[in-house]
Amino acid sequence: MENMIYILFICMVAPLMLSLPLIKKTSRSIMIFMLIGMCTALFVSEVNGLFLRLLDNDILMVTTTITPATEEIVKALPVLIYAFLFTDEKERLLTASFAVGLGFALFENTYILTQASTDVTISWALVRGFSTALMHGICTAAVGFGMSFVKKKKKLFYCGTISLLLIAITYHGIFNMLVQSESMKYFGFFLPAVTYIPLVVAMVMNYRKKNAKSQS
Amino acid sequence: MNLYLTANIIGFVCSLFGFIYGGIHYFRPRKATYAQMITLALGCNAFGRLFYIVRLLTTGFITGSVQLGFFGIAGSFMFFFSSNFGTLDSLLDDGSKTFRKYRLIALAAPLAFIVLYVLLFLTADISMMWKILGGVMTVFASLSTYFNLKHLIFPDVDFGVVKCLRPYNFLVLIYSASVYMECFGLSRDNAVITLISCIITGLISAAMMPFIVRGLKKWRT
Repeated sequence: MENMIYILFICMVAPLMLSLPLIKKTSRSIMIFMLIGMCTALFVSEVNGLFLRLLDNDILMVTTTITPATEEIVKALPVLIYAFLFTDEKERLLTASFAVGLGFALFENTYILTQASTDVTISWALVRGFSTALMHGICTAAVGFGMSFVKKKKKLFYCGTISLLLIAITYHGIFNMLVQSESMKYFGFFLPAVTYIPLVVAMVMNYRKKNAKSQS
Repeated sequence: MNLYLTANIIGFVCSLFGFIYGGIHYFRPRKATYAQMITLALGCNAFGRLFYIVRLLTTGFITGSVQLGFFGIAGSFMFFFSSNFGTLDSLLDDGSKTFRKYRLIALAAPLAFIVLYVLLFLTADISMMWKILGGVMTVFASLSTYFNLKHLIFPDVDFGVVKCLRPYNFLVLIYSASVYMECFGLSRDNAVITLISCIITGLISAAMMPFIVRGLKKWRT
């Protein structure tokens, strides 16, 4: 069906936008960033389509070399604007960037589902739901972390953010390559979880330490 | 086994060791940002190597087209640059005339990379892709090595930290040269040069973090 991506975009974004005034402030900002993530996914799909046509529909080359770069750069832009104009608080930037990544993954997954609805299975949903969403969230959050230095340490912000962006692009490329290969796709499914779990454990431990210190 | 694969596995394992070692020591609240940046540089290198490994295992080639792993390795230079330029340099160098001599001498490192680029890439009979990639690597390596050489020769005026970090800065200079050599090997599709340079890069990546830990400890005591 022609214009499927736009139909899907309107169907998903319109009700979420209408619900914004009814949601409490903290949840609202997360919802806004998820919506921004969906918008970036729509924009990136056009850019990637352009590259695909330029490179004679070489899907493997585009998905493992071009799309990781375009997706990570476009996802980082709203977080960059947020960091410049509103806040450079690390926690808020991490939440915002993770939400952008999740919104992006949500829209991407739904679009892929509509394109291959006859071939998908429960295991496909589990893989897309857990690994892809996590991967997008982690990559954007990593770049968001670098942006928290935007006002505190300008020198660190410029080069640190570029470096983190390069890490995110490489990580995304590894993931895309793994999930597309026949023999190694299971490594790809677990890669985001292997990265995510130690990060969460470290964050929880730090939080507990802080709490214990403030109580004592 | 493919020599490129062996080379990148060595590079990956050594960088991962440095990354984990640095992560355990420095990824806690109120730890030196300087060391955190170096840890991330090794992580970036490890990801770049992992990309190459996966590429070799899935498609079997890494030299014919642009690879994201290259940017992972180039990204490690950006972190080395951030660690010196973003955190330490402003503490040491106040921009006064006294230190002009050291700033000028330090320019020798980027100059050497530019000369090497002209000789090995720009004027050589290789594809345009490698001329561009060689240029990208030259920019990243020049930025990083300028500060490494500067901090290697800089006088230890106030803090005492420069002396403690000299071995580390020396190691990064060798690391930069060996990564550049690897880039040269890849551009000529020469697996032996790539393997030798990956072994050197790997050994230095593994040694870097212990030197940093020792250097910073010495400085504090």
